[in-house]
Amino acid sequence: MSKLENTLISINSLARPATDRTDAVAMLAVTLLYLVAVLSVPLYAPQRIIWLAVYPVVQSEVSGIGFLRVFLRSLWVLPLILLIGVFNPVLDTQTAFMVGGVAVSRGWVSFISIVLRGLLAMQAVLLLAMSAGFYDMCGALRRFGCPRVLVTQLQFTYRYMAVITEEALWMDRARKARGFGRRNYPLRMWGRMVGQLLVRSYERAARVHRAMLARGFDGTMPLSRRTRMTRRSWCFIAAWTSVVLLLRFADISSLFIK
Amino acid sequence: MSHHYIRFSDVHFSYPHGPEVLCGVDLLITHGEHVALLGLNGSGKSTLLLQINGLLLPSRGEVVVGDIPVSKKTLRLVRQSVGMVFQNSDDMLFMPTIGEDVAFGPRNMGLPETEVERRVGAALESVGLAGFEDRPAFSLSGGQRRAAAIASVLSMEPDILVLDEPSANLDARARRQLIDIIAGFSHTVLLATHDTEMALELCPRALVMDAGRIVADAPTALLAASTDSIAAGIFDTARPAPILAPASN
Ligand SMILES: Nc1ncnc2c1ncn2[C@@H]1O[C@H](COP(=O)(O)OP(=O)(O)OP(=O)(O)O)[C@@H](O)[C@H]1O
Ligand SMILES: [Mg+2]
Repeated sequence: MSKLENTLISINSLARPATDRTDAVAMLAVTLLYLVAVLSVPLYAPQRIIWLAVYPVVQSEVSGIGFLRVFLRSLWVLPLILLIGVFNPVLDTQTAFMVGGVAVSRGWVSFISIVLRGLLAMQAVLLLAMSAGFYDMCGALRRFGCPRVLVTQLQFTYRYMAVITEEALWMDRARKARGFGRRNYPLRMWGRMVGQLLVRSYERAARVHRAMLARGFDGTMPLSRRTRMTRRSWCFIAAWTSVVLLLRFADISSLFIK
Repeated sequence: MSHHYIRFSDVHFSYPHGPEVLCGVDLLITHGEHVALLGLNGSGKSTLLLQINGLLLPSRGEVVVGDIPVSKKTLRLVRQSVGMVFQNSDDMLFMPTIGEDVAFGPRNMGLPETEVERRVGAALESVGLAGFEDRPAFSLSGGQRRAAAIASVLSMEPDILVLDEPSANLDARARRQLIDIIAGFSHTVLLATHDTEMALELCPRALVMDAGRIVADAPTALLAASTDSIAAGIFDTARPAPILAPASN
């Protein structure tokens, strides 16, 4: 199976919940709380952020997704995070603390802190999307009062990713079928292919839009399941809220580092 | 229920910056009729079909569907009663799974979720795709995709079924299934096709288009036997007799 096919499969698999038991609304509530907890830890205390990794690690294992998958996918945001934090070590050279006789500057500490926060935040969001499924997540967002246009936009972006990948897949097959195993195409040809891909995706999107209109589409994507709170969801929220708050406010590191 | 007719009165249409593609089309299709729309490539068949649910609106003239004149204001009503199957099924399958695609129309209609599920099940069953709910479209064969596209329209339980080239790229068995699906649809059907044998089998009546006009409206069998040059081009009656034809008395 080609890389593109795998990409398409993983994009599409994001649409459905990983487990039937996941309640999107409860999951979203915990995720929001978690994001606030992670982002509110003081910048110069990375040792306190690490403990918050308990949530993505435990929850991804419990839901059967596996932390490794979540972790690897979260690395996608690394370039962005690095870009944000990269100047801190240069600009802030004041010593924060000493490790084995080496001075660690405040810049480095804040840099590490930014990277950790970014990764953990991304992991929590991915975990939400992967376990609740993209559409149920959108439904939960609506329940939380997120404006309709934004949610529809989110759904379109998601579907458009699949459309582009699908077109790329057809083009890739056509190229391979006539390429006789050749690999070293000139750069110019790749450029043309990217242009082709954009044109094709655009035309396809226009035709798809027409087909959507024909079936009564009025600008808002219908949301699949009605999300209902059960006793289970309340337990889920209660349990994780206490854990996250504990990890956020109790200084666990100080139990280990004297 | 007995008002599901389609009426075109002097319909003109041209694409932006283009010549006129429909040049004064008049037609009336009454409830329960199965009608074939025939014509050479580029004669305007697809363009005509798109007028029926207002995806294109006439520049002059009027289209009426079941007592409702098609206009910007009536689009919602019209689209609920007209089910349109497009020339390219891939354009109709854009959700992550076939089940979601088939549920798309009913959900837009605001039906309760239990009803949506019932309709999805029934529609997939009727096109022979029961159990395909969770499959992504790209993992289906061309014929199965066509069937799924039709199911995505049947789930809306339309009163009028409009199909553009439904039998293109289908093998004999898939084509037979398709014919059975359409034959089983008891309401109005308008079918644009180059598959004249299917037209003969499904549609007692045929309309022939040429250069944006309806040039013939007659029983399909009669047209097939006609020596008229346009009909001959459509039915390919100018071809030599097949070699394997049984010797006639
Ligand atoms: N989007 C468009 N913009 C401009 N002109 C168009 C467009 N679509 C179709 N046409 C033109 O309108 C005419 C009729 O096209 P249409 O697609 O309706 O023909 P058709 O009878 O469906 O042909 P086919 O049998 O090949 O499907 C053609 O001359 C075509 O070039
Ligand atoms: Mg056409």
